Amino acid sequence: MSEQQSVPRPPGPSGGPREGGRPSGPGGGPRRGKRQYFRKKKVCRFCVEKVDFIDYKKVEMLQPFVQERGKILPRRMTGTCSKHQRWLGVAVKRARNIALLPFATEL
Amino acid sequence: MSEGLYDLIFICMPTTPEEEITKIVSTLEQTASEHGGKVEKVEKWGTRKMAYRVAKQREGFYVYLALHSTQGSLIKELERRLKVTDAVIKYMTVRVDEEIKRQQKLVAHREHRARRRPRKPAAASPVTPAAAPAAEQQAPTS
Repeated sequence: MSEQQSVPRPPGPSGGPREGGRPSGPGGGPRRGKRQYFRKKKVCRFCVEKVDFIDYKKVEMLQPFVQERGKILPRRMTGTCSKHQRWLGVAVKRARNIALLPFATEL
Repeated sequence: MSEGLYDLIFICMPTTPEEEITKIVSTLEQTASEHGGKVEKVEKWGTRKMAYRVAKQREGFYVYLALHSTQGSLIKELERRLKVTDAVIKYMTVRVDEEIKRQQKLVAHREHRARRRPRKPAAASPVTPAAAPAAEQQAPTS
């Protein structure tokens, strides 16, 4: 229950605007003076929720951190801390082995 | 002599009748007890879509077992049995005791900190200000 409620959070504020903001950041210079783009502080979702163990069986929990085609999203997109990103990687790889998550989506 | 907790997940053909799955689970339980292990928990997740095709199937019947094992040969035997069973199209065993231990450690650490932290401000600050106004209030009324 609690995972389901929390699922939409990370892709919304963390994944969404950053994906659009990043490419325009380094290249898109001549907009304003000092701050060319404003970035929200990224917070590790697992740290906020005080997760001690990332379960590979809870697919809904892992889904926001995986791209549609099955790639694991990098830390700079999701804001996950290094400890939890490590656990997350292990969990996603386990879930892939038992066909809960795709290695790569075939079309 | 390796003692461990394991997660065992296997996927059956979606066409497998329920009784046969129950039979597979009971044989696994029996094998576990023969080798000095124990099946702690059985969960049937039912038929669900798989992320990719396995044995030309897009769906599979997932069964999850939590095991307690005292010897490594048990896992070998269980995996051999699953391999031989025709209805089973995929299986995976994961050793989880170290992760559970780590989790428990973290939980204990957090609880310890949570217990320690509020006591200090609760003991130090609120007692004296609370006691002082109480005394002041009492004085004018009496």
